[in-house]
Amino acid sequence: MEMHQIRYFLAVSRTLNFTRAAEECNVAQPSLTRAIKQLEAELGGDLFRRERPAAQLTELGMRMHPLLKQCYEAAAGARSLATSFKGGKVGTLRIAIADAVDIALLIPHLNQLKRMFNTLEFKLLRGNSKDIGEYLKKGEAELGIAVEIDRDWDRLDSWPLFTERFQLVVNRCHSLAGKQQVELEELQHQQLLSRGYCEYAGRLGTALRAGDIDIGGSHDVSCEHDLIKLLEADIGIAIMPCSASTPETLRRAEVEGLDVKRTVQLYGVAGRERTAVGAAVMKMLRGADWNAFAQRPEVPTKDAKPPLSIIAA
Amino acid sequence: MAEKTVAELLQQTTEDSRMMDAPLSMRLQAVADAVRRLRPEFTAVVDRMVARLEANEVGRNAPDVGEPMPEFILPDQDGRLVRLGELLEAGPVVVSFNRGHWCPYCRLNADGLAEIAPEVRRLGGKIVAISPETHRYGAALRDYADAPFPVLTDLDNGYALLLNLAFWVGDEKRVAMKESGFDIEPYNGNNTWMLPVPATFVVGRDGLVKARYIDPDYRRRMELDAILEAVAADGSGERRLRSA
Repeated sequence: MEMHQIRYFLAVSRTLNFTRAAEECNVAQPSLTRAIKQLEAELGGDLFRRERPAAQLTELGMRMHPLLKQCYEAAAGARSLATSFKGGKVGTLRIAIADAVDIALLIPHLNQLKRMFNTLEFKLLRGNSKDIGEYLKKGEAELGIAVEIDRDWDRLDSWPLFTERFQLVVNRCHSLAGKQQVELEELQHQQLLSRGYCEYAGRLGTALRAGDIDIGGSHDVSCEHDLIKLLEADIGIAIMPCSASTPETLRRAEVEGLDVKRTVQLYGVAGRERTAVGAAVMKMLRGADWNAFAQRPEVPTKDAKPPLSIIAA
Repeated sequence: MAEKTVAELLQQTTEDSRMMDAPLSMRLQAVADAVRRLRPEFTAVVDRMVARLEANEVGRNAPDVGEPMPEFILPDQDGRLVRLGELLEAGPVVVSFNRGHWCPYCRLNADGLAEIAPEVRRLGGKIVAISPETHRYGAALRDYADAPFPVLTDLDNGYALLLNLAFWVGDEKRVAMKESGFDIEPYNGNNTWMLPVPATFVVGRDGLVKARYIDPDYRRRMELDAILEAVAADGSGERRLRSA
């Protein structure tokens, strides 16, 4: 496939008119028609029914449309990133991160961009999942990282980054500190610091109740910073996702029988023009190996790397 | 017991070919012959796809010798961004497009590149491999070949399309691949079934393509000696002095 062929294909899909598509692409119509014919030959079927007054996508055309669009946007992104580098201007990365997601996830990637583009600026927005959705809708953020955004808006694109477990986090002086693993029953009568900003707070509470765990007391905490301070003061215990970073003064343990997992997702807005840096970060995050985040700390990593054998599936 | 998949059957053949004291083309051919012998029906599907790509001259408009190689900024297997222009400051660069860690031919190709890597370095050059796979699978290809060079992730085949090298696998081959143990969706982080035409470019310090090898038949790759020759012609090492 050639990049211009896909550009023409996307223009005809948009306008459903070969003449208008040719104008839009600044190309003579016979050239556009020829390019689309070549693409059709390569893909092995017609992409359009050439009807009047409007062309129509065939079944193959409809199937290929999202695939070709994704590939084309990646190519356009690759080109504009290179152009940005040459011009010395990469623009502003506007990214919204849910309160329950650790910024540490993003830091290695920001570091890489910073090394490559010393003019990079970023705008970091915070809020709950609903807020992240709103930032995206309004265009204040180009990308979002959150666990679950209500899909009441069909223009939201999402890519799962990783799925992770929850762990017990306690002060190093706490009676449960130092254990690799605790039973659900051991949480009986503990003072729980509840992460009210986490979409999974309710589900964790339900899981504890289902295990007949009578919490000694529950405290609502509104941000991770406060939670860490309270844990450091040994005021209570917390259940946190694996990817949340904690200071050395705290200890973590697996909770046997706690079967709650969450999936951290990357969000973007379909059909909205992406900045070079936004497109680059999107691909960096999607391509990244999240095992180090999803699996820490001491958990068997038998699946951390794909086997070297050629057996693929 | 379930019948072995093509992927499983090829494992030993790939290892045997890897150990062959023969040019890369013969090592690749040994695998291709084994597939043809073991699973003629799979080879028939491959041949049909290759014929379709060849009939449409897929890849012909990729950067040619004497033309500039487009700049790239791509993450390697560790997430580190690598820029072509930066690599070229030090000398010529071998850019190798691969389908993925699951592909026996790409494995042998990467293994061959690892074999000549010390010589390329001595000549003042560098090697990068590019695949559409996410980092952990790029790392798997790198580990397989014990490669001293990075494997870059070209997610969604963006850079490949920029070079007019991306192609659609097509339904018949997709089904055959899945049945044969090659489901590439989790590796590529998408369901597009797009792949790059395997290709090798030697890019000179001036950013122009000095040599290229593009073949829609993914069972054939640029011969290692030809790569070394092109690197030597542009590099700063002994070979260049000798030919001057």
